Amino acid sequence: MHHAYIDKFAYQDSPIHRLDSRVKFIVVLVFTAVVISLPRISLSIVVCYAVGPFTILVLGGIPLRFAFKHILLVSPFVLVLALSCPLYDKTPVTVVFGPFLWQSSLGWVRCFTILGKFIVTMLALIALVSTTRFGDLLTGLQRLGVPKLLIIQLGFLYRYIFVLIDRAHHILRARAGRTLRNLGFKAELKIAAAMLGSLLIRSIDSAERINIAMQSRGFDGSWRTLSKLQIRRTDLLFALMAASFMLGLYIFVRPVLQ
Amino acid sequence: MPKAIEIENFSYGYPDDTVALSDITLSVEHGQRLALIGPNGAGKSTLLLAMAGFVKGTGKVLIEGLQISRKNLKKVRTTIGSCLENPDDQLFMPRLFDDVAFGPLNMGLEAEQVKLRVANALQTVGLTELSDKAPHHLSAGQKRAAAIATILSMAPKIITLDEPDGSLDPRNRNNLIKLLGSLPQTLIIATCDMNFAAALADRAVLLDKGRIIADGDAKKIMSDSKLMSEHGLEVPHKMK
Repeated sequence: MHHAYIDKFAYQDSPIHRLDSRVKFIVVLVFTAVVISLPRISLSIVVCYAVGPFTILVLGGIPLRFAFKHILLVSPFVLVLALSCPLYDKTPVTVVFGPFLWQSSLGWVRCFTILGKFIVTMLALIALVSTTRFGDLLTGLQRLGVPKLLIIQLGFLYRYIFVLIDRAHHILRARAGRTLRNLGFKAELKIAAAMLGSLLIRSIDSAERINIAMQSRGFDGSWRTLSKLQIRRTDLLFALMAASFMLGLYIFVRPVLQ
Repeated sequence: MPKAIEIENFSYGYPDDTVALSDITLSVEHGQRLALIGPNGAGKSTLLLAMAGFVKGTGKVLIEGLQISRKNLKKVRTTIGSCLENPDDQLFMPRLFDDVAFGPLNMGLEAEQVKLRVANALQTVGLTELSDKAPHHLSAGQKRAAAIATILSMAPKIITLDEPDGSLDPRNRNNLIKLLGSLPQTLIIATCDMNFAAALADRAVLLDKGRIIADGDAKKIMSDSKLMSEHGLEVPHKMK
């Protein structure tokens, strides 16, 4: 089965793809922290920060449609939070955007700032995942000192989430093929529980077999991989440019736009 | 020189008292290509697991003269490589290269040696170009070949394969037959597909209900239509 893999563009080749995963990860981490720390009512500066991930996506050859599609997928949670702002904060404010000027409430400004921050940080995250192979990202995280156990779990999660989705699809299809009438909520709930149980038992079976595969190849609890990461001059240049961009906006542009 | 595999009076039962293997005695010479044939539930997979020390029953299992025990499991598993039925279970790393390097790294080899072994194993199965790919980006045939590469990189003397032809289309099955046919190792192949077994094996062991029913020349056993049908199998097309 073919999934809409989040990392489907990670195997392309571009100057961004060739950057060291550690550098990209740290830049995205700092970028996210900076964007989150921006004032809750300052949308203009958030828009300025969006230039960063947009540039990375364009240079990496990642279609913006792909990025926005994935943002939409996870947006419901943040939408609920953002749309609740206008309900409890109705303080009137005057919004100025270039030559335009209009009256609104502080709640709406906060709502759009939250959405803006969410979109910008998600763009950065998608830029990271779409331009970095997951294996390299894990190796990078390991080299940055992230505990091995967490790395192993992330590796397994990435490797087997698609297998699990496949199985879930097969079960759903098998059910759909035999569900010829509306069974009612109670019966559907019972079937859903049985399906989840089946998925769990199959997962446990798989885990046992994976354990056999690991042991048959000499696994003794130590996770060994061959790392081929190397920080080069271009990585340092990228880090310097990213730092200048973030600091420049924070120090010089933020006070003006606030 | 000790035999590749020697099993003496081996029996094993599941925790619910179902007999999986009963009084198995089997001896495999180096370089043999043995097809372990039998219907579903005959005990073929369990016997393969017993050969690699994953199943502990009564009786003896010797790999190259070494009786399997807890202390020598690592040595045993560098001699005998097990390829599981589902490649998704065999390929557990996020990148094919890391998966193929997993075994050699655990054997304690140096980085350069590991790289060489990975390159050779991937070249043997024809997946050199895909070494940086994630296993879920591979096709069924590529996954099967990759699963074999994970074993080849450890350079075992014996390779066991559990239903290696499962869910492969004819082209991929033929490629797999060519690949396995070119390997110098002792091969133990568990399969229900008699055509696949006939294309590779020089010896066949028919297993049913946990017991060895017949053991001998592959052509002789697999062309016996009465024996085959009695145990829910079929005579391969080329022997009809």
